[in-house]
Amino acid sequence: MSNDDQSGQKVPGEIPPDDREAIRKRAAELGSKLDTAKKRHAPPPSNRAKGEAMAMGFRAASELIGGVVVGSGIGWLLDRWLGTWPGFFILFFLLGAAAGMLGIIRMAQRQTTPPAPSVPRDRDDGEND
Amino acid sequence: MAAEGGGHSPIEQFAIKVVQPLKLFGYDASITNATLFMLLAVALIVGFFFVATRNPGRVPGRLQGAAEAIYEFIASTVRDNLDDGKDGRKYLPLVFSLFMFVLVANMLGMIPGFFTVTSHIIVTAALALLVISVVIIGGFMRHGIGFLKLFAPSGVPGWLMPILIPIEVISFVSRPISLSVRLFANMLAGHIALKIFAGFVGALLGAAGIAKLMAPLPLALTTALTALEFLVAFLQAYVFAVLTCVYLSDAVHGAH
Repeated sequence: MSNDDQSGQKVPGEIPPDDREAIRKRAAELGSKLDTAKKRHAPPPSNRAKGEAMAMGFRAASELIGGVVVGSGIGWLLDRWLGTWPGFFILFFLLGAAAGMLGIIRMAQRQTTPPAPSVPRDRDDGEND
Repeated sequence: MAAEGGGHSPIEQFAIKVVQPLKLFGYDASITNATLFMLLAVALIVGFFFVATRNPGRVPGRLQGAAEAIYEFIASTVRDNLDDGKDGRKYLPLVFSLFMFVLVANMLGMIPGFFTVTSHIIVTAALALLVISVVIIGGFMRHGIGFLKLFAPSGVPGWLMPILIPIEVISFVSRPISLSVRLFANMLAGHIALKIFAGFVGALLGAAGIAKLMAPLPLALTTALTALEFLVAFLQAYVFAVLTCVYLSDAVHGAH
């Protein structure tokens, strides 16, 4: 488009840069207010959230148990094969427990993403068209 | 009769019964009640989506709305857990099929007198092995031998490797096991608990004197447990789908 738009004179259907800035500021302010208000009136956990929490519980429990069981199993097989009972069993039991904990830590890391803000940061940097 | 809790063992419901003996290439491939209920589950799923998508309208009808809601639900689960973009989406049909099969099989099991296929570890183990095979094959196809870097996390000092590699291997091997055991154990335990508490009602009614008055207690508990079992039936299908996505994301993205 033509470059006259930048000169600040009124063009019908065009928002001057100053107003645009003010509107953006107000939107950001309102957004942050909305966010704090939302936090204050935190809704009771919905059924879906409860279900997801329960699902996470099931996962954490089985992650730990799975690690310990598989570790002990590998250790037991190694001992039976090499005749070194209970050396490998103890070693792999511990490794299995560590693997289980690692699984739970990874699961928790995946979950901790903060909720998105109410007013998304807008990306158009005053491009007038 | 009722005095012995109906005379039924709580695990009788899991018995596999041959309906139609069948031999294929020397293998016993008899049609059992488990086969029938798996076929029923598949038939229900295919039938539902066939009817729901037969006359798609721009404004979805009731059935189409339900089908779209299920699709949206799984698609968003795949988006969240398999990470957007890349080619995570090509696994959507697999995750969707697994979720629907587990869900419908679990729900069919909640109908009194019906057989619960997912309460058998051989069924859940077969599903878990399918998932882990796809992870391994997909991972090697995409990353080649580099897929093995999954077992050697980057940014770790070299002297820790002898400890970390076994830990990572154990954690990988335990995946199909925990995946199958979780589903099977939840369904098995839930159905046994239901049967036992329901059996108490009959046992108490058959008992002498004051004990008869206690009969409503296990009945109330059975009702509550039934509601819980419906929740568990859905949750386990959901967890199965989520974990399938999480494991598949290893195949798509490679090392953490």
